[in-house]
Amino acid sequence: MEIAFSVLDDQIARFRLDKSSIAFANSLRRAMIGEVPTMAIEDVKIYDNTSALFDEMLAHRIGLIPIKTEEECLIPRDTCSCGGIGCPSCSVLFTLSVEGPGMVTSKDLISQDPRIGPASPDIPVVKLIGGQKVVLEARAIVSRGREHAKWQPTTACGYKNYPVVTVNDRCDACGHCVEECPREILEIRDGRVAVIEGRLESCSLCRLCERACLNTGIGEEAGIIVRSDESRFLFVVEGDGSLPAKNIIRQGLDYIRTQSQGLAAQIYEISGETRDEND
Amino acid sequence: MIPVRCFTCGKVISTAYEEFKRRRDTGEDPKRILDDLGLERYCCRRMLLTHKEIIDDLNPYQ
Ligand code: SF4
Ligand code: SF4
Ligand SMILES: [Zn+2]
Ligand SMILES: [Zn+2]
Repeated sequence: MEIAFSVLDDQIARFRLDKSSIAFANSLRRAMIGEVPTMAIEDVKIYDNTSALFDEMLAHRIGLIPIKTEEECLIPRDTCSCGGIGCPSCSVLFTLSVEGPGMVTSKDLISQDPRIGPASPDIPVVKLIGGQKVVLEARAIVSRGREHAKWQPTTACGYKNYPVVTVNDRCDACGHCVEECPREILEIRDGRVAVIEGRLESCSLCRLCERACLNTGIGEEAGIIVRSDESRFLFVVEGDGSLPAKNIIRQGLDYIRTQSQGLAAQIYEISGETRDEND
Repeated sequence: MIPVRCFTCGKVISTAYEEFKRRRDTGEDPKRILDDLGLERYCCRRMLLTHKEIIDDLNPYQ
């Protein structure tokens, strides 16, 4: 298994996964979406709300604000020693108290813990006019995306198979496929159609080029053939700001490792075989 | 109020709304503004394009 990054910054990562399988690529995708712990606001106590939004609406909007999480600074509430009541080691308290006129934004959420706060300061919560007031207390806890989408660290997170575009002798450079390709990755070069240098990864595997070629009456088989490589994948991982993209990938991989090690240990125990430490 | 995130992909789009509204009202092409704001996917783009702000109409009534 090999990973080659083409883009890697805090917000977004694009990489190619080589010598892998569909099963692994999909488990990595699912692990990154659903199994990487992040923080989000779970309980909101509203003391005063005279804004135009209902309390539920207000709590919902506040819940969707991504909270920047410093890794491992908190533990999940159900495994905490406080037994799920909520204490400083498993939850963070935010207070918000704003009087109109003006916009209530995510930076008005004052965190108890200086390491933890909203990922972006400018998320609008509600607009107030003079005399309106919002006073509330919110508690953020650690959980995973499979519990609720607000704990997902990712927005766009997925993969596609690596495209393999081959052109055979039947091609007569008529150019129909070049026009048809929505990603504009084809050109006519040396009397044949070819992929523009460096554009292959943009191919969406839509195979419109094949269809366009067949529609020219070329016969049973097209001059251009697009297949997908079943062992190579192009990933895109976009974070919502709660964790850097690099940590999402690392923690996703860590999750797969601990899960499969746990499974292997169980199987060894059941079968009674001794374990080869070099595995 | 503009939704906090895109309904489909979950990207935080509400932060872009003020600038989008300001620039759209000066007559700029929405396509250009959305490209500038880094909203690439059409799910996020429709969030801003199709939003109708009614908070100012609601605000006088509690
Ligand atoms: S692959 Fe088919 S459609 Fe494309 S240039 Fe060759 S003959 Fe024409
Ligand atoms: S499969 Fe689609 S994107 Fe890829 S080369 Fe053909 S037309 Fe273009
Ligand atoms: Zn606790
Ligand atoms: Zn979107």
